[in-house]
Amino acid sequence: MAKPVKDKETQLREQQEAETRRRQYRTNQEETRKKLKHARFEESEPVEDTDGKAQVHLPRKRFYRQRAHSNPFSDHRLEYPRSPEDMKWEKLYPQYHDKDSDSMLSKVEIADIGCGYGGLLTKLAPEYPSTLILGMEIRVQVTQYVEDRIIALREKHKDDEVNFQNISVLRGNAMKFLPNFFQKGQLSKMFFCFPDPHFKQRKHKARIITNTLLSEYAYVLREGGVVYTITDVEDLHIWMAKHLEEHPMFERLDKAWEEQDKCVSIMYNATEEGQKVTRNKGSKWIACFRRLPTPEDCD
Amino acid sequence: MKHPFQLLLANSKGTHLFVSVKNHLQVYDLSNGNVVGSWSDTVDISVPSKKQEKKVASVEELKGDKKLKNNDAKPVAVAKTPVPIQGATPIYNYIRSLNLSKDEKYLVGTTDSDKAAVIFEVDLANSENCLKIIKRQIFPKRPCAVSIGDDSDLIVADKFGDVYATTIDSEPPVDEKALTPILGHVSMLSDVKFTRFNGKKFILTGDRDEHIRITNYPKAYVVKNWLFGHHEFVSTLHIPSYDPSLLISGGGDDYLCLWKWYDNKLLAKIELRDLIAPYLTEAHMPAERFLKPDSVKEISITKILTHSVDDKKILLVLCENTNCILTFEIAGDFSVKHLQTFVTKDSIIDICLEETSGRVFASIDREEGDLVELYDLGPDGQLSVASTNMGTKITEGNHCQVESRQNFYPLYYINTLRKRSEH
Ligand SMILES: C[S@@+](CC[C@H](N)C(=O)[O-])C[C@H]1O[C@@H](n2cnc3c(N)ncnc32)[C@H](O)[C@@H]1O
Repeated sequence: MAKPVKDKETQLREQQEAETRRRQYRTNQEETRKKLKHARFEESEPVEDTDGKAQVHLPRKRFYRQRAHSNPFSDHRLEYPRSPEDMKWEKLYPQYHDKDSDSMLSKVEIADIGCGYGGLLTKLAPEYPSTLILGMEIRVQVTQYVEDRIIALREKHKDDEVNFQNISVLRGNAMKFLPNFFQKGQLSKMFFCFPDPHFKQRKHKARIITNTLLSEYAYVLREGGVVYTITDVEDLHIWMAKHLEEHPMFERLDKAWEEQDKCVSIMYNATEEGQKVTRNKGSKWIACFRRLPTPEDCD
Repeated sequence: MKHPFQLLLANSKGTHLFVSVKNHLQVYDLSNGNVVGSWSDTVDISVPSKKQEKKVASVEELKGDKKLKNNDAKPVAVAKTPVPIQGATPIYNYIRSLNLSKDEKYLVGTTDSDKAAVIFEVDLANSENCLKIIKRQIFPKRPCAVSIGDDSDLIVADKFGDVYATTIDSEPPVDEKALTPILGHVSMLSDVKFTRFNGKKFILTGDRDEHIRITNYPKAYVVKNWLFGHHEFVSTLHIPSYDPSLLISGGGDDYLCLWKWYDNKLLAKIELRDLIAPYLTEAHMPAERFLKPDSVKEISITKILTHSVDDKKILLVLCENTNCILTFEIAGDFSVKHLQTFVTKDSIIDICLEETSGRVFASIDREEGDLVELYDLGPDGQLSVASTNMGTKITEGNHCQVESRQNFYPLYYINTLRKRSEH
């Protein structure tokens, strides 16, 4: 019952055509994105009003395929602000920008680290309507998908109460440049949903939760802020919980707390990865931690 | 020809000079130019480090100093030429950093060969060899910089971005696998400084991204803040001994940053490009594969030093692979004025300052002639050639012969920290 074998050339041609279609789709989307002047913080032109002329559809994920992993240690020339003060948040949240004083009306308080396709952002948006929520994602095309998804949602719901103006995404390496984006104590919640497991022992330093990185997360989180973690990989769960428990700036929140916290239930099934795990009938492990007060003898 | 000196470090009284040449450490008595201490790193780098038993050797290249006994004197063969491990950049038997403890009783060097910090007791009264090795602590990754606290804390920053705290003592070294970092960047660290301020202790770290981080110590899990001012890598952090609230940082930018680091305040950017431009050469252009139409000659900072003379605050700057030292005055209002560009014949590899008399030592990249030059820093902030033959004497004490420049160890590598676009 062998399938007819395609010769190499045909295979190659088909692959190329598929890639061309994907690229063409993304180019078109980029045009739309540019018209809507969304997100890119390095562009210095003023934000124009969107007149909604461009036809916006919810983007299709299959056109944004990318390798599953991106090396968090590499020097890919990421764009990031020199310092949090240099960050042009108005590009990401135009409706929260006060033109007269040229300042933002709110700061980002919730961060979804490695947000993937952005499912959590869209579910948090209506729950925290007056809080700015940011997804940070290292893969370019995945980030672009989320950008396009948010543009489409904003467009579609522009006259609704929940208009998705409070969520945004940017491409960034959270393991290297978090302090370039956020000031000390700026965040109240950080989500780590289904992070890359990096199974091999040798690669454990590539994990997004390590004892040294936790000190950086403690820096951007305010006292009382919460780190949320969820994973379907038990080993990773044990690892994350262990490192957070060992870190003097964090304290585990108990089951009772988890049960009454609405973000825990949202996080459980809001993300694309979480939904995949549900479909595959996999298990999910949760661990949440509170950021403790800075010791008195420290600055 | 002799291999040039790579690192120079004078003690505060100006009685002794500590130097490195390839895998050798030497100590010179500055009253007579005699070698009074020496040590050689004889770890065989041709053997993968895992299988390595510490091989020790008598040192051929130093055998001129017959009187000197090497510390570990069991003669075994030394690997002479570095053997690159497949695909990797070659590892050299090389001393990457040299530091003295505050009381100058201990000297700490770091080796690339076995990724170790080597701790010596300095006993200047010992006429045979003033260096006595007391501990060799191996680290999981190559140490890049070291800073010594005042309670014998030894702070070591590595290539992987991690910082470890161990102690200066003669206890047996800890198994490297049992070491856990006290703080970390996800970027190669280039410098680390332990300091005290307002009765508290801090660690300052600089990395290959453009970050400078200030961390509380010993509670190193509490970050105080980052200092944002650099666009390129950071290579050197300098805290003036006359005012520990200041920090001067430099790296791959055309400028230095002068900070009130505790207050997270950038006081001044000290522009170097126009001053140093006449001394940059083709060697400062990016390598061919990184050349772009708009590429310019690149500046990298090797050393930043400060000196306080009669209330005048003098700043000295060495840019990598240049034959000059730039001096500046830092005024009371923290404005910075260029004073002098002191030029010598050949490229300067490293400089150090002996604070008591304001004498500057420079190691020079040349094939013949003095490999060390001495300058005096006058009260007007001007450098002048010191009238002494100490440079010649010190050069005579260097017995590290090589056939040609090709056999020199890399003398200029700071610019390799520069990030090049990967796509
Ligand atoms: C397995 S996915 C999970 C995505 C999403 N949170 C979900 O639950 O559907 C992990 C994501 O983290 C991103 N990521 C990995 N390392 C990162 C880093 N250092 N900074 C930002 N994102 C990162 C990956 O590109 C990937 O999209």
